[in-house]
Amino acid sequence: MSAATDGDDADPLLKVRGLKVHFPITQGILLQRTVGHVQAVDGVDLDVRRGQTLGLVGESGSGKSTLGRGILRLGVPLTAGTVEYDGVDIAGLKGERLRKQRSSMQMVFQDPMASLNPRQSVETLITEPLLAHGKPVNSDTVGRLLELVGLPRGAALRYPHEFSGGQRQRLGIARAVALEPALVIADEPVSALDVSVQAQVLNLLEELQERLGLTYVVIAHDLAVVRHVSDVVAVMYLGGIVEEADSDDLYQSPLHPYTRALMSAVPVPDPEVEDHRERILLHGDIPSPADPPAGCRFHTRCPYRQPTRCDDERPELRVLRPGHSAACHYAEQIARGDIEPADAAQMVGTS
Amino acid sequence: MTRPVGVRSEPLLEVEDLAVVFHGSRGDVEAVSEVSFSVRPGEHVALVGESGSGKSVTALAVMGLLPLRSTTVRGSIRYDGDELLDLDARSRRDLRGAEMAMIFQDPMTSLNPVVPIGVQIGEVLQRHKGLRKTEAREVSGDLLGRVGISDGKRRLKEYPHQLSGGMRQRVLIAIALACEPRLLIADEPTTALDVTIQAQILELLRELVSGTGTALVMITHDLGVVAGLCDEVHVMYSGRVVESAPRRSLFGEPRHPYTGGLLGSIPRLDSARGEPLTPIPGSPNDALPWTHSCAFAPRCGNRVDKCTVQTPALRGSEHVSRPGDEQALRCFNPLDTREAS
Repeated sequence: MSAATDGDDADPLLKVRGLKVHFPITQGILLQRTVGHVQAVDGVDLDVRRGQTLGLVGESGSGKSTLGRGILRLGVPLTAGTVEYDGVDIAGLKGERLRKQRSSMQMVFQDPMASLNPRQSVETLITEPLLAHGKPVNSDTVGRLLELVGLPRGAALRYPHEFSGGQRQRLGIARAVALEPALVIADEPVSALDVSVQAQVLNLLEELQERLGLTYVVIAHDLAVVRHVSDVVAVMYLGGIVEEADSDDLYQSPLHPYTRALMSAVPVPDPEVEDHRERILLHGDIPSPADPPAGCRFHTRCPYRQPTRCDDERPELRVLRPGHSAACHYAEQIARGDIEPADAAQMVGTS
Repeated sequence: MTRPVGVRSEPLLEVEDLAVVFHGSRGDVEAVSEVSFSVRPGEHVALVGESGSGKSVTALAVMGLLPLRSTTVRGSIRYDGDELLDLDARSRRDLRGAEMAMIFQDPMTSLNPVVPIGVQIGEVLQRHKGLRKTEAREVSGDLLGRVGISDGKRRLKEYPHQLSGGMRQRVLIAIALACEPRLLIADEPTTALDVTIQAQILELLRELVSGTGTALVMITHDLGVVAGLCDEVHVMYSGRVVESAPRRSLFGEPRHPYTGGLLGSIPRLDSARGEPLTPIPGSPNDALPWTHSCAFAPRCGNRVDKCTVQTPALRGSEHVSRPGDEQALRCFNPLDTREAS
């Protein structure tokens, strides 16, 4: 029973089931033998409802970007699973049909400098997706799109290097919405920007969602950013979703030990809060996705780890409350306080 | 959270009226000017600003790591009473690593990829403490243990690429702390790391620095990191300090519109959802020259006519409750303390 299927009657725009992306590790030059697999995404179920924002949050190596690209089939071969977009399974699409499908699914990339061709003028950049899909372009198209993302019409004749980071990200967004897509996947849309500029881009994304009725998947490592923009947040760890919940619910009562640790690690710009909150410090690093731990993938760092079951059995994502699911064998007991963290030294008060 | 600072001991580091000018082929660029701050033993001071604000250049000037030929450093940097800008290169090298040390942002680029980490840590001890190679190895192994790398002795042979980002940052901290410096400058030490690793590293820094009387200068763009760690905060914009205050007043009642704007534009994990963010319009590139205006004026919501024709001076505030709680502000029309969020 997948967590994502519970409750809601509205049919989702995007329905991902059992998605796996494994990259082969090869050895040898001429005869390449496959010696293992990097299990970047390993069994993900997701539903994204129309007009909503799903936030994917996780640390580097958690597979969040691969999942985002896997959904768009963007240079990432799917190993298993289905991606149903608007009722059509696109996991099996190829060639021209896949390309056509992409006009309604677009992406905003992290680094706007690397994702905009420095030798193309803004006008060419923005009309390119339209021409590629045979959409009409008239004299007003570019100006209208620029205005939509808060840039002056005069910007059309300039080149990417003439813009600041925030403006470049606006250009990236203009390209993404040019084809009037229904789904936009934004991979770390603000992490390359200055702090004072991040809020501008976040507000623009929200404004466009309202005006154009977009559905977003926002991928970010910053939990505060994700929580701010998302209706539903999915927390990823080592290729799998460990917790999924309504944004407020997740913050108020995180159920998975990893989410709790992650949340306690995010610094809050307020000395009063910082001085008195409890921190759960995790030991060590995220393990390699080429050799993920058996059982629960988080058990190597989990302060609540219980003998044998956590080491042997991989927990499924279970619905624990309406709209709130977590992949932890002992989520209920931890929430009730029946299980104490094993290592008291891991809980550090700052005061 | 209060550290025993004694009855306001003498400052260890005093930076006064610092200016750094880069000489380029297209003319001079003044990256930093009129920067003054002081750090007492055991005190944690933060320099906060966005990219291009001059915070890193200030740190490099203090460490003496700016290229001599193409830069001019003016003003005064006094360390323990000595004027650093009068010292020759040799004496500064003796200080650097022994008395003052720096942790850099990206441990991948600041560690030598073809030298085992043991050698890189031992190097500092051999240079400054005159230890022999074998002794240095011993001490390096212990240092790795202190920064939370288990089995330190064995790992001395490893190369940077064999370590994860968090581990590399720990190695950098070990190098910086090898000679027990009295002044530690950390330049964005956690920016390249994941949040859970960031929490580990900040906790480690806090642990290593507290109790030893080491003065810490923390350079960051992340106000969240500052809130939990630093006593004094200096906010920089376009090469100058625009507001200085103890952390509680800075976060509680920001006076400079830039500080207030920064705080209003960061989504907070603990605030109610759905509250719109109030971004600062424009970008840091829009800064005006400080020579005859306030650099922040084009982006400022509190701008008055004066702002674009006159340079605001950094003035201390009228009410200083405790000596040492210096507050300073560079603004003609500061935020009202009550309305500021």
